[in-house]
Amino acid sequence: MTSPQASLYSLHERIWHWLQAAAMISLIVTGFAIHYPDRCGVLGSMATAVRWHFWIGFALILNAFLGLFYHVTAEKYHHFLPRMEDFTGAAVRQARFYLHGIFQGERHPMETDPRRKLNSLQKLTYLALLNILLPFQIVTGVLMWGSDRWPQAFERVGGLWVLGPLHTLGAYLFLAFLIAHIYLGTMGPTLGSLLRAITRGDSPAAEPAISTVGDPVSEV
Amino acid sequence: MKHSCVAFRSERKGVAASLALLRAGFLVGTVLPLVAWGMDGGAPPPEAAPRLSHPAVVLKDEGGHNVLTTGQPISTRRTCGENCHDYDFIANSFHFQQGKSEMDRKLLSSHGVAAFNSSPGMFGKFSIIPNRQLTHADIQNPSDADMSQPEWLTKCGGCHTGGGISEYDLRGQPLLGSDAHASGPLDPSYTIRDRNLGRVVPWDWQKSGVTEGDCFLCHVPRASRGARRKEMTAGNFRWANNATLAETGIVSAAGDGTFLYNRAAFQADGAVKPELLDLSDPTLENCAMCHGFTARHATTIQPIQHADIMRGTEKSGWIYNGANISDTVSPKIAGKEKMTYPWDAHAAKGLVCIDCHFAPNNPGRMIHDDAAKALRYRPRGEDVAVYLRRPDHNFARGNIPPETVNLTRHNTMRGCGDCHDAVKGHAFLPYKTRHFQALACQTCHIPAVHFWAYRSDDWGFLMDTGTSRITFRGIDGSITDPDSELTGYLPAYIPTLDRNQRPQIRPTNLITGVYWFDKRARRPVFTWQLQQSFFSGRDRDGDLSYRPEIVKAFGDKIGFIDIPQAVYDTPGKIALVKGLLQQHGGVAEPELRVDVVPWAMSHSIVGKKQAIRECTACHSGNSILHRPVDLNTFLPRGAPVMFGGKPVNVVNYAGKEPTFDNRPLLASFYIIGDSRSSWVEAIGWASVIGALLLVLLHGALRFWRGRS
Repeated sequence: MTSPQASLYSLHERIWHWLQAAAMISLIVTGFAIHYPDRCGVLGSMATAVRWHFWIGFALILNAFLGLFYHVTAEKYHHFLPRMEDFTGAAVRQARFYLHGIFQGERHPMETDPRRKLNSLQKLTYLALLNILLPFQIVTGVLMWGSDRWPQAFERVGGLWVLGPLHTLGAYLFLAFLIAHIYLGTMGPTLGSLLRAITRGDSPAAEPAISTVGDPVSEV
Repeated sequence: MKHSCVAFRSERKGVAASLALLRAGFLVGTVLPLVAWGMDGGAPPPEAAPRLSHPAVVLKDEGGHNVLTTGQPISTRRTCGENCHDYDFIANSFHFQQGKSEMDRKLLSSHGVAAFNSSPGMFGKFSIIPNRQLTHADIQNPSDADMSQPEWLTKCGGCHTGGGISEYDLRGQPLLGSDAHASGPLDPSYTIRDRNLGRVVPWDWQKSGVTEGDCFLCHVPRASRGARRKEMTAGNFRWANNATLAETGIVSAAGDGTFLYNRAAFQADGAVKPELLDLSDPTLENCAMCHGFTARHATTIQPIQHADIMRGTEKSGWIYNGANISDTVSPKIAGKEKMTYPWDAHAAKGLVCIDCHFAPNNPGRMIHDDAAKALRYRPRGEDVAVYLRRPDHNFARGNIPPETVNLTRHNTMRGCGDCHDAVKGHAFLPYKTRHFQALACQTCHIPAVHFWAYRSDDWGFLMDTGTSRITFRGIDGSITDPDSELTGYLPAYIPTLDRNQRPQIRPTNLITGVYWFDKRARRPVFTWQLQQSFFSGRDRDGDLSYRPEIVKAFGDKIGFIDIPQAVYDTPGKIALVKGLLQQHGGVAEPELRVDVVPWAMSHSIVGKKQAIRECTACHSGNSILHRPVDLNTFLPRGAPVMFGGKPVNVVNYAGKEPTFDNRPLLASFYIIGDSRSSWVEAIGWASVIGALLLVLLHGALRFWRGRS
């Protein structure tokens, strides 16, 4: 069991998370300003949106590497490593909980603590997100950014006709993830407990459940 | 900007009077600009670069004698070529050959020139605007005869400067040589189609004489194309080069087709006074006579001269003029008050045509880059004396579609990048290399055209003048009416190949041709065949009379046919004319076609303040690159649409008027903000909306279960 006072997220993790969140939201906003420049001119000209998109994209890449460095050196990467059971029974139990148990007042199938922060579905989601979708967006984005610098590499992979739609698709998937991510962030003991955990470092387990059905657990 | 047009029904008939008026207006126009220039206080034009004077010249006849003593026509071969310049070398260049030296089937096919053309140049190429073509040398059938060599010279020789095309027959024999003879009764070098007799008859070269290369047309600032054109049209080829000097004071017309020499124009040693001939590099005005309206600083713009519309202006409306548009006195330019910038930025800087379109071996102007040898600069240039003896008259040129002329010299001129450092000059622009690869400089630097230009030339239905129906864009009213307001027009965009053979988007004016094609003969139907099919003859006044079948099908209640009636709005009307072409025109398998021809723009360049800078001009769902440009209102629906010599459906009939749809052409360009992948959008939005719906549903259920 988690100590009532123990924080689920360290200061490093919280700063990293919010930097990544800000970068991702900014990328989605500027990305839409580029994809729909006549309907989404939030930053004035499209050229401005393009420049911000670059800078924020590189900030996100830097932050992603800092996060990787932190998780490796602090030996916290194991949170993201699924075990065999996470692909089978645990994942099924977690899915069943979201689709059925949560409405029946059942206990959460997995309790979290600072040593075990992610449930099976989270691990699988982050496995895909951090190892497939994020690198995919980085590679397609950097290739497009570098089309002036490395035109041959850019053309070799099909140029804008390939990279543009693929990068756009990745952005849509990130947006879909973001929607689900924010919603699942309300599944703590209270609607705001997980938000407080990732902002102030409060322990979500210390708060009494008052407005949600289900067990206190980190869902982000 | 408003798109407009007006039917210009045959300048051959009712407009002749208007043209006379225009000519008068032009004379006024030569005075008005000077007055206006003095009054408006505008920036003076840049001064012309100083130049060296050409030595005094003795004008010689073909015998090598001074014309002052013999009274014979001037021979440029003798005058210019005897001691100083290599006449045959010069006359073998494109400006004199006009494609005659490129009559090579392999060359044509390798450059995608349609097989019914005998050359890629004006001498041999079919053009929709006059719907005429030089007759092939080897025809066997009279129905394949259109425009013979002598007729070509009478029609086109006003501009095209003689030399190769008017001294030698299509087999390369001198037309006045002892071996000159027709190879048969249809030999296009020695015959002409008699319009009245309706058959091919011999041409008398001994009577007409030949025209040697007209050096004066380009090198004498006061050359008169009008006087030259008059003699060429009359078939008086021998004296045409003398006529070019009609406004110099050196010669005067005798009235019988010959010209007299003015003794006062000659020095005591028999040479003509240098200040009268004033031989020089071609001036803007020399080039303008044939290529388009060009002036250092003109506030009156009149591109119709000697009943001809200057080619460059008629095709895309470009005006190479250093004066501000706002200073224009005539014609009326809509909204000119706000256009306080020059018609062309280069003209305002004092650049002349030969600064970019130079003689390739001119040591002062030649491009030193040799990409084939990775050579940036070639220090061993041509000696100026060698150049002056043999100046290459295959002038440096670009590559503007659909021009195929001078095939082997495409992309030899200075490009924008040879003078401008585009990367430094476009600090605001992200992805500079990508933009410069995908877009021609003209795309942003010719955002609009403020003049009129051809919109369509419809040879599908002949008007009662026996010619086509022409419409213009960019003008409210007639082009010959000084009160017409010029609204200008916005260009259409198509991909063309740059000098590295990569597709690049550039602005064009679209001229839509409607014409009949003979699928059996694999060539367009000639005008005389159309005339035989549409008309039964001439009435007492000499006007053409439509055949009764035409009047019945197309005429109004009283049998009158004018522009509103001359429309193929039913398949039956197309079938009717098709039958008449087979019956009376000798056309085996006629097919009505639509040909959308883009004329690329290179002049009327604006500077950075007026250039397109807004990203969303192109990068948006309403991108100008896909602007729907209006075509000919009278396009026959269902007729095959040709573009670039191939069937490509670039016409959108969905709206009120047919418009140009370039999406098939720009399919290879992914324009961020405009291009969308339908499957990506479908999957993307489905995943986003799906996530939202699931969240809402799940949250609602949680809320409901929590309350219960």
